[in-house]
Amino acid sequence: MSDRVAPDVDDRRDGDADRVRDASDDSADSADPALSGIDLAVGYPSTEEPVVEADRVVLPRGEVTALVGPNGSGKSTLLRAFADELEPERGVAYLDGRDVQDYDAGDLARRLGVLAQENDPPAGITVEDLVFHGRYPHQGFFDRPDETDVAAVERAMARAGVTHLADSEVGELSGGQKQLAWLAMALAQETDVLLLDEPTNHLDLRHQLRVLDVIRELNDDDDVTLGVVLHDLEHAVRVADNLVAMRDGAPYDWGPPANVLTEALLADVFGVAATVDHGGDAPRVHARRALDDGDRPNETHEG
Amino acid sequence: MVNVASDPPTETATELHRGTDGDGDGLATDPRSRLDWMDRRLLGVCATSVVVVLASLLVQVSFGSYQMSLGQAWFSVFDADVWYHPATLASFLLGDGLTRTVFGLDAAWEPHELVTATNVVWNVRIPRVAVAAFVGANLAVSGVIFQALTRNELASPFVLGVSSGAGLAVLLSLVVFTVSTAFLPLFAALGGTLAFLLVYAISWEGGTSPVRLVLAGVVVSTVFQSLQTAVFLLAQDVGTVQTAIVWLTGSLTGKDWEQVRVVAPWTLAVVVPGSLLAAKQLNVLALGERTAASLGMRVERVRFGLSAIAIVAAAASIAVAGVVSFVGLVVPHLVRNVVGHDHRRLVVGSLFAGAALVVAADVGARLGVQFATGGSGQLPVGILTGLIGGPYFLYRMRVSDGVGGLR
Repeated sequence: MSDRVAPDVDDRRDGDADRVRDASDDSADSADPALSGIDLAVGYPSTEEPVVEADRVVLPRGEVTALVGPNGSGKSTLLRAFADELEPERGVAYLDGRDVQDYDAGDLARRLGVLAQENDPPAGITVEDLVFHGRYPHQGFFDRPDETDVAAVERAMARAGVTHLADSEVGELSGGQKQLAWLAMALAQETDVLLLDEPTNHLDLRHQLRVLDVIRELNDDDDVTLGVVLHDLEHAVRVADNLVAMRDGAPYDWGPPANVLTEALLADVFGVAATVDHGGDAPRVHARRALDDGDRPNETHEG
Repeated sequence: MVNVASDPPTETATELHRGTDGDGDGLATDPRSRLDWMDRRLLGVCATSVVVVLASLLVQVSFGSYQMSLGQAWFSVFDADVWYHPATLASFLLGDGLTRTVFGLDAAWEPHELVTATNVVWNVRIPRVAVAAFVGANLAVSGVIFQALTRNELASPFVLGVSSGAGLAVLLSLVVFTVSTAFLPLFAALGGTLAFLLVYAISWEGGTSPVRLVLAGVVVSTVFQSLQTAVFLLAQDVGTVQTAIVWLTGSLTGKDWEQVRVVAPWTLAVVVPGSLLAAKQLNVLALGERTAASLGMRVERVRFGLSAIAIVAAAASIAVAGVVSFVGLVVPHLVRNVVGHDHRRLVVGSLFAGAALVVAADVGARLGVQFATGGSGQLPVGILTGLIGGPYFLYRMRVSDGVGGLR
């Protein structure tokens, strides 16, 4: 299966008859992607080899793109390159057609929000105060929050469903409520593009669904472009217009979930024997068993 | 930990918004007005600190080795010779030279001749309280900033080696070569910066952790203290050695307007405005480096600027009073327990409480021996702050397991 070449995004789009979601509002997105990486190689100072090597990876404007793949496949690393947290060793990550490294830090923060996987709230901070920090890139050095900021914070808290927790201490909330509070902070940034690194990790089922709903609403109502690293394929199918399946630091395949999620991909990328049910309006994955390493022709170490 | 009391006006305003459920149209007033973070607890800290400083001033002015009655002492405070001669009054703060320039006086001008009692009160007792207040405020703010920068409640200029670096620099200037007193804080800051950079470099390993910073701080402090001892051996004169020892313990004995003139400009021009402006950055930095960066903060640049303010603050106080221990560690803790973790409150509260602590401790240092034994000796104030601060910090460590990030 290693000789399988992922078709170019544009080709995939044109011939795509059964898109899961309506594509009428973003027909031009692949020509003008919100985020794109060309010839990218990204690593960490401590690693010799780059963790991610991608010839071309695209997050279409106005869509939710889920980055999926097994542990160590480079999903988060790719996200961090787009967020200008890691400097690519080679290639360029573009935001709105411009190298993310060329943006002024504040300017980038007004266009692109990031929510890291692990967030440790400062002691004693309330949800409302935390969310107000999301306004930092919109304020001058001497500015106090003004009405715009207050309105944005109120909107963000309402969107994330934490308005009733405004005066609670973040440190004393449940894991799910904490995550929603951090999400509200990122929402208060009011960026056109938002990157979320495993936002549903370690949450109970209810809060997982809450986070996914917020992602969906953000895209449907506010037309925010989202890049979301997700572990759970079911979650990915639920929220994403696009999947990018990563394996060993490279995008293996991408496109609408209905096209990407195949039994072959599940075996190759995730190492599971599964059947995919394309009957409903969204594909359903039924994982059968984990494949032994011997069953997988292209198993390599996890970077 | 104590909860942060939120300010009633904000709460009502927030309730109002919640009624409109975020549609944002019904915002009549801005609830986050300029001073909404000035809550009652902070005002309480500031008011208490002012009372403590005034009470200490009262005691310091009234008693001392030069015997005078209370009435005499307070007559001296309001001595017409001082208050009716603005140039004389100004010369305390500006020095004779600058006063001549500002008031357009000729070179022959001298401050008004004062009677002995007035002279003692105005040139010995009052300036000493002023120096103490400046020293305390600086050390406390330095502690607040270092604790935020390292996300470590164990951090302070003392722990991070800044004090010993600045101390060595000042000691060198006492023993080996002369530096003009006005630039002593700058020289001390240089030593402090060097020590801090060393600490950071040693603890750096693709990032740094609270524990590694503290350990590196201990190492660097020890090395610099050895160097300080070595400098003692260079000193030929016993008097110099004695001065140096007193100075390394942190002492306010014999401090007068000259020290005020050294420490005040740095405090008022750099430390106070700098730390007040920095409070917002400290709050964002407390979210963690990655989050701060994702919010558009230039983390390295901000951290550099904040370190500079903290080092200048520590150095300015060390330059005039030596190494007064534990103030930078304990005051931020104390204030945090009352006003919470918001750095806007913490910085303001620490400026006041730091001044109050050192001023009060200096009452004990200056008069304690006299009252306890009837003798005439004075203790260095650093011994007092150590005696108060050490046990307090131990107590905090016992009651809260969050101290030092070693959860």
